[in-house]
Amino acid sequence: MKTWMAAPKRYFKKEIVPLLADLRLAIALLLAIALFSIAGTVIEQGQSLAFYQANYPEHPALFGFLTWKVLLAAGLDHVYRTWWYLSLLILFGTSLTTCTFSRQLPALRWFSRTWNFYSQPRQFQKFALSAEFQPSANGSAGVAAIADLMPLLKQRRYKIFQDGEKLYAHKGIVGRIGPIVVHVGMLVILLGGMIGAMTGFIAQEIVPSGETFHIKNVTDGGPFANLSVLQDWSVKVDRFWIDYLPSGEIDQFYSTLSVLDKDGQTIDRQTIHVNKPLQYNGVTLYQADWSIAAVRLKLNNSPLLQLPMAKLDSLGGRIWGTFLPLKPDLSDGVSLIARDMQGLLLVYDMQGKLISTVRKGMSVEIHGVKVAIADIIGSTGLQIKADPGIPVVYLGFGLLMVGVVMSYVSHSQIWALQHEGALYVGGKTNRAQVVFEREFLSLLDQLDRQDVEARSSDDQLASV
Amino acid sequence: MDLVALQGILDNLSFAVLLVTMLVYWVGAAFPQASYLAGIGTSGMAIANLSTAVLLGARWLEAGYFPLSNLYESLFFLVWGITTMHLVAENMSGSRLVGVVTAPVAMAITAFAALTLPDPMQASAPLVPALKSNWLMMHVSVMMLSYATLMVGALLAIAFLVVTRGQNVELRGSSVGTGSYRERSYQLHRADPVDAPTQGGGTAVLNPVATSEMTLSPQRLSLADTLDNISYRVIGLGFPLLTIGIIAGAVWANEAWGSYWSWDPKETWAMITWLVFAAYLHSRITKGWQGRRPAMLAAAGFVVVWICYLGVNLLGKGLHSYGWFL
Repeated sequence: MKTWMAAPKRYFKKEIVPLLADLRLAIALLLAIALFSIAGTVIEQGQSLAFYQANYPEHPALFGFLTWKVLLAAGLDHVYRTWWYLSLLILFGTSLTTCTFSRQLPALRWFSRTWNFYSQPRQFQKFALSAEFQPSANGSAGVAAIADLMPLLKQRRYKIFQDGEKLYAHKGIVGRIGPIVVHVGMLVILLGGMIGAMTGFIAQEIVPSGETFHIKNVTDGGPFANLSVLQDWSVKVDRFWIDYLPSGEIDQFYSTLSVLDKDGQTIDRQTIHVNKPLQYNGVTLYQADWSIAAVRLKLNNSPLLQLPMAKLDSLGGRIWGTFLPLKPDLSDGVSLIARDMQGLLLVYDMQGKLISTVRKGMSVEIHGVKVAIADIIGSTGLQIKADPGIPVVYLGFGLLMVGVVMSYVSHSQIWALQHEGALYVGGKTNRAQVVFEREFLSLLDQLDRQDVEARSSDDQLASV
Repeated sequence: MDLVALQGILDNLSFAVLLVTMLVYWVGAAFPQASYLAGIGTSGMAIANLSTAVLLGARWLEAGYFPLSNLYESLFFLVWGITTMHLVAENMSGSRLVGVVTAPVAMAITAFAALTLPDPMQASAPLVPALKSNWLMMHVSVMMLSYATLMVGALLAIAFLVVTRGQNVELRGSSVGTGSYRERSYQLHRADPVDAPTQGGGTAVLNPVATSEMTLSPQRLSLADTLDNISYRVIGLGFPLLTIGIIAGAVWANEAWGSYWSWDPKETWAMITWLVFAAYLHSRITKGWQGRRPAMLAAAGFVVVWICYLGVNLLGKGLHSYGWFL
């Protein structure tokens, strides 16, 4: 059993893991994902077949090859859902995981030790930033010592470890942990995204003001979506309205929604608008769209009538209209057209000529009939979503943000050794070379000054 | 006080100051011995920074919301960010070369915003419903700041490429700490005046002395090293900002309309920018990839940031086209 397992296992460890953890692969993947993502921003996504046929004809083909057939075959109409894009993401996730576990976490072990001392002067020669303080030739006075160095390092917030003649000090260890937190955060986000894609769903409803609805129109759902959260409750749209600015532009859309239980009892009631959704039972309702549902009017002394209004897409822009018969045999009538919910209706006759306008709450006489407009009823367009992956994604976001900020910190390390009367100081940092160089040189300067002060004469200054 | 007139004065003032500042930096680079030019350049940048800040403040007072709602305002916010990051980078590096690359870009953006952009597009306009949220300030300001920071970092990488053209260089500074070790050919003498301003680029200048010198003394960074490391640090600052900005946008989108990622062209390009700079940061720790290659990636990042910032809006679609070219 061991023997037949050992070979693939060793192959995995010796061949696959190093390949996946290879930085060059990671960089290639980052750039490849970037490159393929561009395609989806240049080519319109999710359009109809006719759209692509019209915009990417076979003669002449765009760039000589990009016809609608090529485009659809490669899945360029839905780049971010194609097998090749998702494979890239999976490969990226695998590389990220491998790198985190095979490189980053083991590297932490090195930093957990605190006895990182140097005991030989020659060890200081390798540093770009190192110096030695030699005792004066006549031996008349002392030389800078580790004891002088310690307060200077403390002042600069270094954590100091000392073992007799040897000293090790460092600061900014979070800068070493940061990249690991970033990678873990990325993995958590990918995981949360997968949970969302598998178990989440999206629904859309367009509901006239005053009506009650069950969420049914699920437009997109993962294979493990739990639609039972939609059972046993309904939502009533108490009111939908739009606030307009004096200039006529839309200020905000509002919907007052009541959540009703099985028996029609109100459980929750909130007014939502864009940027402020309602949440119930893990399902979130967002204000997303609107429409005009109907117009309420009276003809002469008739009871209140409600005529449904339909969106007239063919005219371009957002226009709603209805036909109002004015004779019992429907031989005469007018069209009522609304552009928005500010209350103005345009009245067109059978020939398509604008004959009048009328406002909400006012009346107008058309062909001898008094038409009084009582109200224009709006419909609220709700985007409804459940995504159980959200808490995981948010955790990943948190880790990623903390991680990238931590990763800015530079890990600076300083070594010192007192050897045969001389003091050796060396240091390095991983990121902020320029700032560290300045800090290190000012440290040496201060040490030097103390050194000079300690001496009675300055005859040896030049050699230091 | 008439805020609109004040804005008109300030945007032209910013342009004039930046134009002079750019010339000062260029002349300063051509004649390094004129050391007083460095102070003038820095002051010019500081004045431009202040006047754009006051301009945006006046906008905020006038419109009553954070002034990042149209192209004009966002361009000036970008200039403010670039001049701020310029001052940070110049202070970090002590090099006058920083201004040689940052000043022309800041000047060009100001010229476009103040002179080319037609007046109706300069006027502040009411916010559309989707943008009426406190997230606007958080998301857009952090994104703009990250663009400014990444642009300055990328410009420094371009300066590094110019300074080191035709050379083979080893980089200093990365998450694993490459380049902290001594090169064999140089042995420096500690007696160098450390803090005195040096000639040339105003940074450390190498004074090789005989290797027979026994005393161990620090090896200073060269001009190219300094530029490269400051570029790396500035990009290192822009990257967390970009990350936080994208995440703020994702959280906002999720809270507002229920999807934290919808492959809108703008957010896709923000991700592309993120990926390119992530590749840059990783390329610095890759064996065989060191030297000028990461800087080339960063320089390419400059173009990517611009596409992300403006290019996507030229496509004129998606959630982020409010009140811009359309």
